[in-house]
Amino acid sequence: MRYTHLALVVAAAIAAGQAQAEVSLNGFASVKAGTTFGSDDTLYGYTSDVDFKPESLFAIQAQSDLGDKFSVTAQLMAKGSEDFNSKFAWAFLSYQASEHVRINAGRIRVPFYKYSDFLDVGYAYDWARTPRSVYDVPFDTMDGASALISNSFGDWQSSVQLNFGAFNGSVNVEGIKSPSKMQNIMGGSWELSNDWFSTRVAYFKADVSIQSDALDPLLGALNQYGFASVAKEIDFDEDSGSFVGVGFGIDKNDWIVNSEWTRVEIDHSFMAQRDSWFFSVGHRFGAWTPYISHEVNRDKADPTIYAAIPGVHPLRPLVAGLVDGQEDNTKVYNVGFRYDFHPSAAFKAELTNADNTIADQKTTLLTFGVDLVF
Amino acid sequence: MKWLKISLIPLVLSAQFAFAEVAVIVHPSNAAAIDQAEITRLFTGRGATFASGSKATPINQAESAAVRGDFDSKVLGKSSSQMKAYWSKLVFTGKGTPPKEVADDAAVKAAVAADATAIGYIDASKVDGTVKVIGKF
Repeated sequence: MRYTHLALVVAAAIAAGQAQAEVSLNGFASVKAGTTFGSDDTLYGYTSDVDFKPESLFAIQAQSDLGDKFSVTAQLMAKGSEDFNSKFAWAFLSYQASEHVRINAGRIRVPFYKYSDFLDVGYAYDWARTPRSVYDVPFDTMDGASALISNSFGDWQSSVQLNFGAFNGSVNVEGIKSPSKMQNIMGGSWELSNDWFSTRVAYFKADVSIQSDALDPLLGALNQYGFASVAKEIDFDEDSGSFVGVGFGIDKNDWIVNSEWTRVEIDHSFMAQRDSWFFSVGHRFGAWTPYISHEVNRDKADPTIYAAIPGVHPLRPLVAGLVDGQEDNTKVYNVGFRYDFHPSAAFKAELTNADNTIADQKTTLLTFGVDLVF
Repeated sequence: MKWLKISLIPLVLSAQFAFAEVAVIVHPSNAAAIDQAEITRLFTGRGATFASGSKATPINQAESAAVRGDFDSKVLGKSSSQMKAYWSKLVFTGKGTPPKEVADDAAVKAAVAADATAIGYIDASKVDGTVKVIGKF
């Protein structure tokens, strides 16, 4: 695990920095509980038994200015969904090249979405969670470098982030954690904002490889029966993946509006096109911020993948099942509120109704808890 | 209608009492023209220099200070919770560091009087000759 070494080096640099410079320590935490209403229903890791683990987390961040425009930042996070085993969410070295340009290198967040950078800092947004239908790329950090270019034009601020790097870790394939490699992650985001309006676009591409125990038996059988070309259209073997996201936000006269749309595609894999979007409206009444939001996820299946397998072949229904099973049309409605009961903590409650129109399955989830920063 | 005039006086008094003015202050040697937009820029980390191009060091008051909430709402146009959420977005992404915080009006005044690059704010009634007022809100 050489990336753990990287994290240790950064941690050591912070400790070394301590001798000469100030180390600032900040932290954030979420303590959340949730339960679904149907006895067999599950959503976002929750079941019909009240559970604190799926979304509770604790994190500490240390930042040290090393002088000469260099600084180091490391964030240690323990998530309930990972049994509170702590790990470095990110650890990077920053170089402020000029007033407008900052270079980060190390383990950094990939800015797929508007809220990617502070995904885990619930205090920074009003929702109980970022919209899951949209925020669903199975990895969120990479090891590499980024350049952040910030400029002001009159009342407008422009922020461009360019990223290059790789991700090595496990992702979820058909419910099984599978080792993966995302190589040559390349792309960037551009956000333009003024006092009350912001808009952004993001584009990333990567070569996606996933070693999946869930897929291997099927891929083996396809190769054995002479359908190697079909196997290639299913597996993830340095297949080109792309991500496009656009969004906007308004925060004016205590109205808060947010919307994002994304499209994810991985060529030559059983995962065809995945589109999703959300729209959210909230209003601030002093310390209370009620909101409603709507999310839609629409995944397409690509039946041409198995066209080469004769209709009577025993492998065909297996492949068709996998490929056609990608089709998804889920609509989610959320209603909730944030209550700032303390200068550093907010109480949130959210009721979620997810309607999978293809499986004809409706799930209702209640989540409540506290997000804090310290 | 004499009674009406009498009843107005306590209202005016109580309004002044409840809403103390916030004075934004700099070092007496600082000649830069600084308006509300400029103050907001400096206190939200979107700029690090005065319009003259010289370095600016914003000094904030601790959350427990009475004048902090007034400054956040009157000058920055946000609640203290909103400002905290704003800064947590920058801090936890390594993109920014909030202004240094000191305990109270006296500490801000001392820091501003001692530093030509400093800009801070205090309760307007605490202003004296050691600092220069650039705006009252």
